[in-house]
Amino acid sequence: MELLVHEGFEGFSVNRLAKVCQVSVATLYIYYQDKNDLIIKIAREQITTMGQAMMKGFDPESSFEEGMRRQWANRYQYLVKNPLVGPFMEQLRSSTYMEEVIGSFINDFKGSMERFYKNAVARGEVAPLPFAVFWSIAFAPLYSLLRFHKEKKTVDGSAFKLTEKVLWQTFDLAMKALKPS
Amino acid sequence: MNPSQTIHIFKTDIKTPEDKGRLQAVLDRHEDVETWHIDQEDIDCVLRIVSRSASPTQIIDLLHTQGYRCSELA
Repeated sequence: MELLVHEGFEGFSVNRLAKVCQVSVATLYIYYQDKNDLIIKIAREQITTMGQAMMKGFDPESSFEEGMRRQWANRYQYLVKNPLVGPFMEQLRSSTYMEEVIGSFINDFKGSMERFYKNAVARGEVAPLPFAVFWSIAFAPLYSLLRFHKEKKTVDGSAFKLTEKVLWQTFDLAMKALKPS
Repeated sequence: MNPSQTIHIFKTDIKTPEDKGRLQAVLDRHEDVETWHIDQEDIDCVLRIVSRSASPTQIIDLLHTQGYRCSELA
């Protein structure tokens, strides 16, 4: 994944990977048919691992705030610990590989999140919103903080390091925005 | 993959879609070849063959008779 992020999908090749990993080209071809097969398998593995990390301890039946707190904590911990995953996913999203690898994962994930959201709306804990609006308020602030953290600066160029205090301060504001008025 | 099958990896000069088409006609009907794949994006045009009984030499000879270069990739 490191090589894919640094060289891009275009610049990546099985030969290059063999050189970097100091294994023979033939060894890689025993496990993978070609470059596409290799990228797809790596991407599937990453998405599965990330999905499991995101959903760890998450209960779609929990209260809205508790479930969201779990999601934020999971995403924060996983993405800070694995800084290459973010850029890799961006790369994947803008590539033709995305459709092929996202498959069943997105259905499980979407199903769980939809149930969680519907429960919360039914209980009157969150305003009924179009999914894009909900997602933009619920998670985009977290991804913005994670990007500043990775770049070590904010949009105005001032130094930035994501702390738990800032994380949960932003979380509280996002929760406030999602509550029914 | 079946445990009795072996994967053989070769460096070739099967570069074009036409070359691949010609090869397909030969490999698809070869009874010792279970599955095969050619990576034409790679500089070595790597041919990957899964077979139960064909030896690397047999495959190399087969490709030579079709006019292609082929050697086992270490």
